[in-house]
Amino acid sequence: MIMDKRKNRTYFLMILPAFIGFIILFIVPAIMSFGYSLTNWSVYNADIDFIGFRNFQKLFQDAKTVAAIQHSVVYAILITIIQNVLSIILAVLLNRNSKVTNFVKGITFLPAVLSIMVVGYLFQYIMTSADGGLLNSIIQFFGGQPVNWLGDSNIALYSVLATQVWQWTGYTMVIYVANLKSIDSSLYEAAQIDGANGIQRFFRITLPLLYPATSFNLLMSLIGGMKMFDAVFVMTKGGPGYATETIMTTLIREGFNTGKTAYACAFAVVFFVIVFVFSKVVTYFLDKWEGAIQA
Amino acid sequence: MKKKIIATLLCACMAATAFAGCGSEETTDQNTDAGTSAADGTEVSDAGTAEDGEVVKLRMMAYNAESSRASYLKYLDEQLPNIEIEFEFVSQDNFDNVLNAQLQAGEGPDIMELGGQTRLLANAGYLLDLSDQEFITRYADAGIQPYTVDGKIYAAPLQSWYEGIFYNKTIFEENNLTVPKTWDEFIQLHKTLEEKGIKPQTMGAQSYEPMMKQSIALVNNEFYSDEANKDFDEKFNKGEASLAESWLPAVQEWYKIIEEGCLTQDMLGLSYDQALDEFATGKAAMWQCGPWAVETIKEKNPDLDFGMFPIPGVDADEPGWLVGGPGSAFAINADSEHIEEALAVLELTATEEAQQELVKDNAGSSFVEGVEVDLGEIYTDCEEAFAAGHVYAPWTAVWTNGNAVTEGYGKSLQEVLSGTKTVEEALADADEINKGLLETLE
Repeated sequence: MIMDKRKNRTYFLMILPAFIGFIILFIVPAIMSFGYSLTNWSVYNADIDFIGFRNFQKLFQDAKTVAAIQHSVVYAILITIIQNVLSIILAVLLNRNSKVTNFVKGITFLPAVLSIMVVGYLFQYIMTSADGGLLNSIIQFFGGQPVNWLGDSNIALYSVLATQVWQWTGYTMVIYVANLKSIDSSLYEAAQIDGANGIQRFFRITLPLLYPATSFNLLMSLIGGMKMFDAVFVMTKGGPGYATETIMTTLIREGFNTGKTAYACAFAVVFFVIVFVFSKVVTYFLDKWEGAIQA
Repeated sequence: MKKKIIATLLCACMAATAFAGCGSEETTDQNTDAGTSAADGTEVSDAGTAEDGEVVKLRMMAYNAESSRASYLKYLDEQLPNIEIEFEFVSQDNFDNVLNAQLQAGEGPDIMELGGQTRLLANAGYLLDLSDQEFITRYADAGIQPYTVDGKIYAAPLQSWYEGIFYNKTIFEENNLTVPKTWDEFIQLHKTLEEKGIKPQTMGAQSYEPMMKQSIALVNNEFYSDEANKDFDEKFNKGEASLAESWLPAVQEWYKIIEEGCLTQDMLGLSYDQALDEFATGKAAMWQCGPWAVETIKEKNPDLDFGMFPIPGVDADEPGWLVGGPGSAFAINADSEHIEEALAVLELTATEEAQQELVKDNAGSSFVEGVEVDLGEIYTDCEEAFAAGHVYAPWTAVWTNGNAVTEGYGKSLQEVLSGTKTVEEALADADEINKGLLETLE
């Protein structure tokens, strides 16, 4: 008993430095942001006054905010689904120890090493509507019509999404591969003896036992998708018009470019709530799934 | 045992890198004091003024690239040996956001390049009042006016800026084409070139800027040219006048260029660099831009023979207009620790020699009185417009919220080109942004 208490104390002491850092660098600023969101703080305005929820009211009256939230949510959901489906398929296919599969795994992971800025800039040239754009040249070679990948407001968001799927699928795949390695091979042998085919084995054994990696990856892609900023910023600047504006690009433009710091804080609070609710919903379903697996 | 060795090694590494950090900082701080001992440990940066031989670092933040200021910076370096200028380029898209954040945190640059944001920053007390400085009197009033807020002068203007249409002289000569005198001729020119299989105009419309500026050039032609509209901008600042009412006819005239198919949706997928490439390599006959692009065009294609003409209006008898005005200007951070040195830089900038160096990389007229600038052959077609004073950009000259309003307006014009918005709606959007920002300033 006494031993336990002492152990606990040591444990708390050990995590204390990180915890203090976390409080100072995250919790306190987050609470301050909420405080500021209730004021009229602006770069160009020396006096700070309390104005209640007026920033929030303005936020939701602005069609641009609503559109940006929509874009971010659509983007996050799509990237979560596409990226995870692709990487599970890749992971299962590449889960062998041969030179070829190791090589392919390496190649698939490689884009994740590059900076998003570099990837975005490269794809701006690959997807350009100018003559000689790589992607359009390939399409035209096969007799197709050139597509305005980044300049057509109906598809620009999906063009950006495609580059991000390309960049991050390998990274997610590696996490799935690591999880696959931990699945006991005797389970597959037993299933084979019972006469299960490949698809049955995948859905009855592989997928349920991939639960740890899946829950991690789903949450990470979802939150990453909601936070989408850099690729959009490099590739389309939120344009054409407002077609690819996400929560983050709008927050920076509407909030900081125009000096309306308090307004930006209000937006950040809204963003926090959205991400929080989303994560909660996803973890709720993941918990249910986990319960079902164990039952 | 192994773990202990690794741990010790890692600690050693950490310590070494930590000290390496200190070391390099010290050497940069004292890099000129090679003769004297570097071990006295005094830091240069905390001294308000530089003593003999000590080098003061000034941070200069700008939205014009370093290449467009290269000769000038070199000149400063030669003339002011005890000041080292750390030039920090931040692109226009991001400039206000970076600058605002730094100023608010009390870590702003010592010298900053400003345009449309000067009034806001001056009102908020971030800028040093330059009214009493001797060198300010050397500038012509026209250059100082946009940087004067409530009778006080907050920035020293650099050379004027202007944007017109660059055209490929070789293509024009080969096809017997002349510089257009009216907007309709300009549109017709596109069709003629198109028929000959030449791409008439390229535009990096992925940025909100080019369409915004081109349409405002038409507003210059059709609206600001009328004396009766001179007070519009002041009214707009107070929220008493709207773009949707006043600018609409002019912007509708501009819209013909979209209606006639001269600006196309695929331009929305082109960046500034890509458009520059198309013009420089002769793939497109025209491109709207300004003198700051000239060096890059020449780098990409030294043989290109090109000129610039002003953007024409409806009336053939009047010279066209350029979008532009007194250039951006240098202001000093009121909280700078090196105000004296920063003033020395501005003082030197106001000399004839420095002005000529500035113009070398980015042609424009100087506002220092008595400095004659030869703009060069590229701008011969613009001479008439210059002589008539047909250079204007309301958002840098007078508007309080110029940058935010023009960005919103330009983004809405992208939607106009996409076919999802009308010109009226784009102007109304800009009015809305202006109104919203005026409210936050109250």
